[in-house]
Amino acid sequence: MNYPVWYVPTFGGGLLIALVAIVHVFVSHFAVGGGLYLVLAERKALREQSQAIMAFVRKHTKFFMLLTMVFGGLTGVAIWFVISLIHPAATSLLIHTFVFGWAIEWVFFLVEIVALFVYFYTFGKMDDTRHQIIGWIYFGAAWMSLFMINGIIDFMLTPGAWLTNQDFWSGFFNPTFWPSLFFRSFISFMLAGCYGFLTATFLEDEQIRHRMIRYSGIWALVSLLLSLPSGWWYISVLPEQAGKLVAGASPTIARAATVAAFSMAALAGLLIALILLNPKARTRGLIVVVMIAAMGYMGAFEWTREAARRPYVINQVMYSNGILVKEVDRINQEGFLKNAKWVRHKEITGANQLEAGRELFLHQCFACHTLGGFNNDIVSRTKNMSFGAMRTYLATIHQKRYFMPPFIGNDAELKALAAYLTAGLHQKPLDDTASAAGDRGQTLYEENCAACHGIDQIAPNLKTWSRQRVRSSLDNLSAINPAMPDYTGTADEKEALTDYMVQQAGGAQ
Amino acid sequence: MNPSSLIPVADSLTAHWGWFQFLLMLTFPLHLLAMNALLGSVLIAFVAHLFPGQQYRDLSYELAKALPFLVAFTVNLGVAPLLFVNVLYGHLLYTSTVLMGLFWLSVIPILIIAYYLAYIYDFSFKRLGNAGMFIMLLVLALLLLVGFFFSNNMSMMIAPVSWERWFATPDGSLLNLADPTLLARYLHMITGSLAVGGLCVALYAQLVLKRQPAVAEVGVRIGMQCFSWLTVLQLVVGTWFLLTLAPEVLKRFMGGDTLATVYLVVGVLLALATLVTGFRRQVLATVWLTVPLVYVMSFMRDSVRSGYLAPYFDPAKVPVTVQWSPLILFLISLIGGLALVIWMLMQLPAFAKSARQD
Repeated sequence: MNYPVWYVPTFGGGLLIALVAIVHVFVSHFAVGGGLYLVLAERKALREQSQAIMAFVRKHTKFFMLLTMVFGGLTGVAIWFVISLIHPAATSLLIHTFVFGWAIEWVFFLVEIVALFVYFYTFGKMDDTRHQIIGWIYFGAAWMSLFMINGIIDFMLTPGAWLTNQDFWSGFFNPTFWPSLFFRSFISFMLAGCYGFLTATFLEDEQIRHRMIRYSGIWALVSLLLSLPSGWWYISVLPEQAGKLVAGASPTIARAATVAAFSMAALAGLLIALILLNPKARTRGLIVVVMIAAMGYMGAFEWTREAARRPYVINQVMYSNGILVKEVDRINQEGFLKNAKWVRHKEITGANQLEAGRELFLHQCFACHTLGGFNNDIVSRTKNMSFGAMRTYLATIHQKRYFMPPFIGNDAELKALAAYLTAGLHQKPLDDTASAAGDRGQTLYEENCAACHGIDQIAPNLKTWSRQRVRSSLDNLSAINPAMPDYTGTADEKEALTDYMVQQAGGAQ
Repeated sequence: MNPSSLIPVADSLTAHWGWFQFLLMLTFPLHLLAMNALLGSVLIAFVAHLFPGQQYRDLSYELAKALPFLVAFTVNLGVAPLLFVNVLYGHLLYTSTVLMGLFWLSVIPILIIAYYLAYIYDFSFKRLGNAGMFIMLLVLALLLLVGFFFSNNMSMMIAPVSWERWFATPDGSLLNLADPTLLARYLHMITGSLAVGGLCVALYAQLVLKRQPAVAEVGVRIGMQCFSWLTVLQLVVGTWFLLTLAPEVLKRFMGGDTLATVYLVVGVLLALATLVTGFRRQVLATVWLTVPLVYVMSFMRDSVRSGYLAPYFDPAKVPVTVQWSPLILFLISLIGGLALVIWMLMQLPAFAKSARQD
């Protein structure tokens, strides 16, 4: 509300951030782990006095430099660009809180660049000890970059004691700092192994190729195994609500977790198969699959981390739509539109209700929902709800579904948003009395269930269910699906809801 | 609509605003120098293709080898001032960024393409032959396009009057084309950048390519000609930019603000002095005059920004909650980081050799 919104209805900002972030982390973690891989591989070449391995390390360094310095460096800037576009208020808060953290990271970025250039261009032109020291400086600087960014990223998920003391260090060394640092470090070593795999397959000398594939495979496998307990540690220190979301209360995390699990299994299996069962084959195709699996693992982790802090962009500080938690009470009293800078309609009248509702959608919902697009489409999610049901739903949206921010504003504004989401998007009647006059069970269904599944989707499944089974399931919905919140209505309401569903399913058992 | 009503509330600072201003003014010219060297190298690598003779081919080749470094350092040295400008003016910059979101995001793929093209030009120089000149032309066009988007954003962030257009066009496709200063500002930046870039090439040729006298000679000649003639042109373009400024901003440079007026006078005197040394091909003397000139120009640019923002925003009035330890740790990291960089550069064979010779 403090900032304008970049409004591209079909392509939401969240998806853009996810795409850029996943591509970037895949390369930037490689930039860290790859540094260690290079110096240790160089040491291996020196110890074994192998010119062939040294030539491989040199070639791998070139690939590493071209990928990490160009693509990794610029996609890092891209993340900054994208988040300042999609979440300007959050970006501003992070920049202001951690400016010297970012500045320190910039110094390490500078050291990284110089070290990598010197390392690559002095291969064979510098004595071995000094060349390796340069390699170690590169790795040290790259890992310290990770160290700095890790503190700031995890602050967004678990701000910890910063919430009360606003202290830089409390925010930086927050509850998930250490597990995340370990997890990310192991992931970065795993990716270094994966990339090492890839370049090793291009080696012409069969013996050296097999040795380096094996060497890279062990790197990837050991790091992958070590990442598992640190990942578990990470999840175990999450605050209660975030922990619940990760455990399945959020439908998007449940999906991401599944992808992660499958990717990991595939990755581990392929690595083991590659190294132990088939060490002599040329396995480039297989390695591409390994890379995709690794990307899935990494991507699922990032997606989960992002989703676990919902409904906040900075946990307990700022909602995903940029509204500060500490301002909610005041805005609820004074009205959202009056406090918003980038709206045309400061007061709601009968004539501007839909337009004002659209502005409320833009500033409170669009940060996560597209309009007819392919990520969290608001049109399909609202099609089953009447104006009355939408009003009830919006009033309790955060209580019903924790990962959704509460509606923030006064009653007239809530009504305007409900009008836009029903009459504006679906030409439904704006009739306040419709719910009272209509079927009570239908109203309850629309208020509590229709945001996720319309009755037409549910009815066919219920055809074979007895009335008793429908009724008792309402007492424990999360047992059917962890993402489904338990229904908290009264016994009478549960009866009415059951009647409606059974009737719609065509049964009268 | 009153433009002030659209300006977001600025977040509080963690150190006195003067620190951020100091760091911004310290690092931004460094970014400019790297960016200028990059643009100048691309331009002259291209121009050298147009002349017959091995020394011109060799000059392009030597510049090709420098390009990947220049892109990397331009990006890195751009991060620091962008960070500090985010701290002081972020609420204004993010707003203009949202207004031109599509163009702003396109900066990244454009830079990635330009960066990889620079590497292709470097690693495949001999194979490419004269076709390489088209790669340089494309890189130059891409970099100038990035500069155009930056000029749009930097001028739009200080012009809240233009922000109301978002209500009709919220899809991030707005540029600042109606701003009377835009074209002059952009051409002023480009002319200056290419001129200083020419000087950088001359310096590189004189210091690094001295073992190839014929190549060094053409490098110095083309570089200094590029610098001197573009600086002559800059006297016209710069004056034009000055005259397009809003009267109250222009007045600052005409005695209304002592510091701004001193910047202008010193800037013009330094520019005239560089013309004398430039046409005489005195590379080092010109460099010594140009580095402070770039700093003075950055200070003037900052003064223009303050002038335009005067009715709306003053960073000195943003609330401050000081926390010293992160600032101190940054300064220690900076000193340590620079020491490491210097140590690593001293390990380079070229340095080691010259140290042994000494």
